[in-house]
Amino acid sequence: MSTINYVLSGLGGQGILFMTKIIAKTALQKGYNIMGAETHGMAQRGGSVISHLRLGDTSSSLVKPGSAHFLLSLEENETYRNLPFLAKDGHLYSDTIQDIFPRNSVKTYLDKMGITYYALPAGKIALDLGAPVSSNLAMIGFFAAFHEEPFTPDDFRETIGSISPEPFRDINLQVFEKGLSSGVAIRKG
Amino acid sequence: MKEEFFLGNGAIALGLLEAGCQFLTSYPGTPSSEILPEAVRLIKDEKLNTYVEWSTNEKVALDNAYAAAITGKRAACCMKQVGLNVAADSLMSSAYLGTVGGLVIISCDDPGPHSSQTEQDTRLMARLAKVPVLDPSNPQEAREMVKTAFELSEKYRIPIILRPAIRVCHARQNLAWENLRTNHRPAAFEKDPQRWAATPKFRFLLHQELNKKLKDISEEFNDLQPYNTHNLQPGMHVPLGIIAGGVPSSVIKDILDEHGRTDIPLLKIGAPYPFPDKLALTFLEACDSVLVVEETDTLIEYCLRNRDKVLGRFSNHVPSEGELVPQIIEDILEKTLRERELPSLGVKSQENVEALVNSLELPIRKPTLCSGCMHRAVFYSIRKSRPKAIFTSDIGCYTLGLNLGGVDTVLDMGASITMASGFYHAYAQDDSDQPIVATIGDSTFYHSGPAGLLNAVYNDARFVLVILDNMTTAMTGMQPTPSLGIRADGSTGKQIPLERIISGCGIDFIEVLDAYEIKDLRKTLKKAFAYTKEPDGGIAVVIARHPCVIAYKDMVTKNRKDITITDDCIACNHCIDRFECPALSHDADKNKTVINPALCIGCAVCVDVCPKGAIIAE
Repeated sequence: MSTINYVLSGLGGQGILFMTKIIAKTALQKGYNIMGAETHGMAQRGGSVISHLRLGDTSSSLVKPGSAHFLLSLEENETYRNLPFLAKDGHLYSDTIQDIFPRNSVKTYLDKMGITYYALPAGKIALDLGAPVSSNLAMIGFFAAFHEEPFTPDDFRETIGSISPEPFRDINLQVFEKGLSSGVAIRKG
Repeated sequence: MKEEFFLGNGAIALGLLEAGCQFLTSYPGTPSSEILPEAVRLIKDEKLNTYVEWSTNEKVALDNAYAAAITGKRAACCMKQVGLNVAADSLMSSAYLGTVGGLVIISCDDPGPHSSQTEQDTRLMARLAKVPVLDPSNPQEAREMVKTAFELSEKYRIPIILRPAIRVCHARQNLAWENLRTNHRPAAFEKDPQRWAATPKFRFLLHQELNKKLKDISEEFNDLQPYNTHNLQPGMHVPLGIIAGGVPSSVIKDILDEHGRTDIPLLKIGAPYPFPDKLALTFLEACDSVLVVEETDTLIEYCLRNRDKVLGRFSNHVPSEGELVPQIIEDILEKTLRERELPSLGVKSQENVEALVNSLELPIRKPTLCSGCMHRAVFYSIRKSRPKAIFTSDIGCYTLGLNLGGVDTVLDMGASITMASGFYHAYAQDDSDQPIVATIGDSTFYHSGPAGLLNAVYNDARFVLVILDNMTTAMTGMQPTPSLGIRADGSTGKQIPLERIISGCGIDFIEVLDAYEIKDLRKTLKKAFAYTKEPDGGIAVVIARHPCVIAYKDMVTKNRKDITITDDCIACNHCIDRFECPALSHDADKNKTVINPALCIGCAVCVDVCPKGAIIAE
């Protein structure tokens, strides 16, 4: 089985590690072996947080630049910072508050590399639903709209339902659904 | 059978409890901090009775574990790599004396460094101490190696070091498990003063014994499957082979698999000391040249006898600083293949995309203290009181007082105090009355403050010591300190207040106050400086106390105030430049300072910072 590589990025406090946990738990249910790598300690106090996730039979935990199939990012500048991770023909999903995404020079690069890119105001969606720190769930929902493989929206629903702490379960699922429907709307054009 | 997506440090905890470890001690430090809490979680879930403690420092942790081990129990202690420096005295001697029950010392390395003062290589400490070392390549292997380490330790009666690097500790991997246990061996210390209290004459004999053990273990390491192993086919001779240890060996395996390079054999050395000489020699003989990739220093490369064939750090093929992340390793391999005129990997350069990212001028995010952090209030006040002072500081979140100009030196744990007394005497010798302010956190003070403070009092040094008491060990993940009396398993222990220790060190000036009250803080600092100048004065200690905003979130936000900035703001940027709160920023359109309500926790310290009184709290 070939490896599927994810890079998740954002800022401290945005719940990158919870987002990692959702994908990892879903992958576990599907029988994948998983390796991951995350940021702790002094490095964590800086703001930039990155999480690597590798599905399949690998020995090492870090995603090599140029080999991430998916980049999910909860902050636009962090999206740009982590562009080198994306593989040719990879897929990019970013939170943004700008009307124009991505910047022109980045667009040229992404098009040349055959990388698809979609933006979502995940933070705004979460805020509107009264859950300002749940942009991570909006992003997972959005991402789920574009791929049936290896995980369907139902797979994610099940994981989110099972690992969310009780008081947050309903709102987490609500934010997920909103992200999902935004993605479906874009996908259907 | 249960399955979990374990943190590497959790995998190590799993290994400890699969091996029946009865006694576990630790002092927190990135990247080792989660091993003990993960063990505590499993011990509680599985209702085991392994003894656990947060020790006050690494030497204390190792001495305690050592005593338990020589009663016949299985014991372990965990620390970060620079913690092993603190425990070095204990380590060196314990190697000579040996053990009875298994003793595993887990010392976690930080190539990079991500969160440490050096990139030192624990394997070289193991070599210095003559203690065998195992170097895992991923969480699963770390878990298995813990069990191997206990077996080796008991077979040869010698402590064993496990050296996981940060990419093991903070990697995650799905692991299935069942059957955890705590062994039921009763404590049975057998008196033998010639061993346990050996005089130099017997130490010589013990050194002979130790060398004999190492020789035997080296033999065992020549065939220690699956840690020391290669994929060379019999009769094979190749132009290039690779020898790698620990994390780099797993990265290289993935790179070779990805490019289908079965023509390049790999010798993995997961048990590098005592060095598996014969195994390495067999491999060297089958290769025209050998690339050595190891973190962070040169243990394997030093130990290889035939250097003519070796490409590594001495030949400048491998960088001597920094973490060997996958792209660096791939780059090393690609360059070596081209240099040797061998088929290359065909890796495409990433330079274009890196240049693109650089051209975007993305914000630089330097580490910073949290909004509402008590350290910020204290550093602001200290700097305001004595801007020309020398600021000696220490290791913890408050090292980030750097951003407020309140930190001039950080050497090692406890050096804020010892360097303050050193600076004092160096200047006093020239009749200069240079003011000096030392800052140290509560946990760091318990770790190694008192010895330095005793020394400073005894030798009549004069400085102001500010203890930043946020009531937790914040940087490493909120471990409790002796001042709270909460122990590693959550049980209640005796509280040992800072004031009591400081008084016991001979300090007569001790003032305790709330760190958020910066006006009081400045008044107190003024008094403290005056005291250091009095003929009968001495060292003045100020304990600035306020709960950490992360550890005690609910407690801190209860008193939250709404902060607004009035039109009196003249955009002088004093609060932004000198106070450096992440919630404050300059709004170019409004030409004034604005507050980000998502980041502000309403501590209201900034109200007293604004020279124009333009920040108000309700």
